[in-house]
Amino acid sequence: MELQINGRLVQAEADPGMPLLWLLRDVLNMTGTKFGCGVAACGACTVRVDGQAVRSCVVPVSAVEGKRIQTIEALGTPDKPHALQLAWIAEQVPQCGYCQSGMLMAAAALLDKTPRPTDADIDAAMTNICRCGTYQRIRAAIKRAAGMAPAGVAKRTKA
Amino acid sequence: MKRRAWLFSAAGAAGALLVGWGMLPARSRLGSAAHPWPAGAEPDLTGVVFNGWIKIRADGGVVLAMPRSEMGQGVHTALAMLVAEELDVPLARVSLEQAGSDAIYGNVAMLVGSLPFHPLEVDDYSAEGAPRVRPAKVRLGEWMVGKLARELGINATGASSSVADAWEVLRVAAATARASLLGAASLDWKLPVDELSVSKGVISHPSGPSAHYGELAKYAAATPPGEVKLKNRKDWRLIGRNAPRSDLPAKVDGSAVFGLDVRLPGMLYAAIRLCPMLGGSAGAIRTDVALAAPGVERLVRLPAYAGSTAGFAVVGKTWWQSQQAALAVPVDWQQRPAGGLDSAQIGKALEAALDREEGHTFYEKGDVAKAEAPASRKVEAQYSAPYLAHATLEPMNCTAQVKDGKVRLWAPTQVPQMAVAVAARVARVAPEDVHITVTLLGGGFGRRLEVDCVAQAVRVAMECGGRPVQLIWSREEDTMHDFYRPMQRARLSASLDAKGKVGGLQIRSAGDAITPRWMERNLPALAAPVETPDKSAAEGLFDLPYGFASQRMSHVATRSGVPVGYWRSVGHSHNAFFSESFVDELAVDAKQDPLAFRRSLLEEAPRHLAVLDLAAAKAGWSTGLSPGRARGLALHESFGSIVAQVVEVSLQNGVPRVHRVVCAIDCGTVVHPGIVAQQMEGSVVFALSAALYGRIDIEEGVVRQKNFPQYPMLGLAETPVVETYLVPSERVPSGAGEPGVPPLAPALANALFSLTGKRLRSLPLSLSEG
Repeated sequence: MELQINGRLVQAEADPGMPLLWLLRDVLNMTGTKFGCGVAACGACTVRVDGQAVRSCVVPVSAVEGKRIQTIEALGTPDKPHALQLAWIAEQVPQCGYCQSGMLMAAAALLDKTPRPTDADIDAAMTNICRCGTYQRIRAAIKRAAGMAPAGVAKRTKA
Repeated sequence: MKRRAWLFSAAGAAGALLVGWGMLPARSRLGSAAHPWPAGAEPDLTGVVFNGWIKIRADGGVVLAMPRSEMGQGVHTALAMLVAEELDVPLARVSLEQAGSDAIYGNVAMLVGSLPFHPLEVDDYSAEGAPRVRPAKVRLGEWMVGKLARELGINATGASSSVADAWEVLRVAAATARASLLGAASLDWKLPVDELSVSKGVISHPSGPSAHYGELAKYAAATPPGEVKLKNRKDWRLIGRNAPRSDLPAKVDGSAVFGLDVRLPGMLYAAIRLCPMLGGSAGAIRTDVALAAPGVERLVRLPAYAGSTAGFAVVGKTWWQSQQAALAVPVDWQQRPAGGLDSAQIGKALEAALDREEGHTFYEKGDVAKAEAPASRKVEAQYSAPYLAHATLEPMNCTAQVKDGKVRLWAPTQVPQMAVAVAARVARVAPEDVHITVTLLGGGFGRRLEVDCVAQAVRVAMECGGRPVQLIWSREEDTMHDFYRPMQRARLSASLDAKGKVGGLQIRSAGDAITPRWMERNLPALAAPVETPDKSAAEGLFDLPYGFASQRMSHVATRSGVPVGYWRSVGHSHNAFFSESFVDELAVDAKQDPLAFRRSLLEEAPRHLAVLDLAAAKAGWSTGLSPGRARGLALHESFGSIVAQVVEVSLQNGVPRVHRVVCAIDCGTVVHPGIVAQQMEGSVVFALSAALYGRIDIEEGVVRQKNFPQYPMLGLAETPVVETYLVPSERVPSGAGEPGVPPLAPALANALFSLTGKRLRSLPLSLSEG
């Protein structure tokens, strides 16, 4: 089976029914994409397929042959991080961090389609679960990456 | 070779330490040649050891031995800040190495914090703000438990205690190293030590000599530190200021390694199925069905380890293949001999226990019976809270390898020593033959204070011929086999005099004891031979700040058979809902504003009053709101910190919608304000999920909720704006990770009462059922 992952053609041997998540994690050892629920409810496994945010725990690999797959490992590079990754650091978004790969991939799909999202756009697109509750900073970071928010959540803490 | 060299230098430093070390209480935890590094499973032997916490590399970089687990609470950054501050190095120059199992890394503050004293007794300041001598029982209790804790050296990350515990010992460890480095420069350059200055890890003298820590380290480690002084507050450059969290870059590019991300050559993956009936067992298992599935190598039976339920694991080439096979296996599951557990029945049993039993009295003030006698009337209410699951986003997992009589573990755990101990018991090796690497934790919340999954991984690895195995629970297993927050019932009663003034307050609650069960499964050698009162179940009821003239609070500890455990903020998480909702009921009964009513009862608790006032002021408590909105407030102390929250709510299609939550917190000296704010924001979301949706129901032994769709949690669209305000303080730091959780549910319930006139006394809050 030949897959197009992060701009490279990858040969992998796998059951065509295996969800993309497990091919990434256990066959290709690309562990940035996380397992949370296995039923597409939490979005920890979100990757992009032809630009769309997709919950890879329920997508069989047979369904993504010939499509462009992007994972967190290729969202940016150390030299050129994605604007969202910079915004995530600027707003100090993550806590445990486990959901953040999926959050970033979902946000990247949103900004590609809607470069200046409203709060309602963000509400509608960002349906992943964060158990640490970083949502408010995620919202601020998306706006920052979109060039819409000079002041972040961090500024809202006062001694 | 290198190892001998640094052992020698560590011995020199330790000998020297005895000279200048008079009365500092942290000195017994500094470490010496008797408890040297290497600490972790794969120690880095470069650098010069100064004590059990600090090592200086040749390039001048500082290495901190890190015993605490990073589960999102920012501990890796906060503790590094303490060291960077006292050593005068940039934060980025401090790197971490996992600490070992030595007793010096034990969490003393956590054990001392578990004493069942009323916080106003523990406080070392009077209501007027003057230092005071605390009651003898408090001083004696803390001294004894502190001593015991230092002996036991239990390394656990929990009870919001990491910064409080590290506060003194880490600063002293760093300041001692700094003093030795300065001493070495002084001796080497033959210049007075008080003429030397340190900037960014470089020591210099105005006349020209200059050297960085790495150049002086070897000599300095054998140099007596002389008199060690901690910096004055006014000289702090890091403590109290925001700094970028060191763990975040790896968390935005996918490179952070959680337990699930460990990859080893030849590794296998195990999926499990436990008996769906809690406490049940497995009869016949069709192993042949599993072995016929593609990619599967073996099936291993699992006994009921460390308080969990029995079942089996399937081992294969990928987790998905193992999981598919495990799901396909026909099993003859057996109910537990005592019959299936049922949460509705357990709720009735708790009420019967309240009818029947007095329970253990945790706090008594004045004479409640006397206050009741002349009372013209009583206000009474019964409250309830359900079982809850932790639902860490990273499912339970552990990677283990058993080879040549040794065990290697890679685990996202809050209790590394207990993971080692259970692995040693299962594999029948000495604890010295078990080595653990603690990964990042994809959430903890108390679930990772349990080691059931570690035992399972080791059992499976024993059958895999020396190959490493990563055992992962599905979300369904995670939800159905948690150690749940115990179900509770509480009865609260206030007696009022003819003028309507509250004379006496009585609270009695019932629920399963947590700590005795946890001790039995995780520290069996220390478990008490008799049932002991469980402070963790009663906290948040017996320790209220309000000056009701007479009070009695007791708790009836039950034992239902449901596995129960520590859930973020533990007893406080539901008890604050009971107590702070009831206080609101009393305010309503007295026809007083809830803020004014609370203020009138806080004469003896000025810190609480300050926190309450700050939250009320920032929320604009007395200002108007748009139609259809209402506010509610709550005040609660837990883990040494006081939090007040004001919640603003409306109804959308009949369902509560929280718009804004204002948090004020007094957590003593704040090391990193941004991390405290993160914890308040996260606590609000965590508590709001529980208040609106959280419940675990058990029927015929089976947990009905299987996965996130049946155990919903708050999403981004429903998340309110959370504002955090810090009360300036020079006290010792107290907790931040949990104290934001307890006030949210009562503040919301109080806001909903204000909005609808309906008093909700049961969690989760439901206007249709309430």
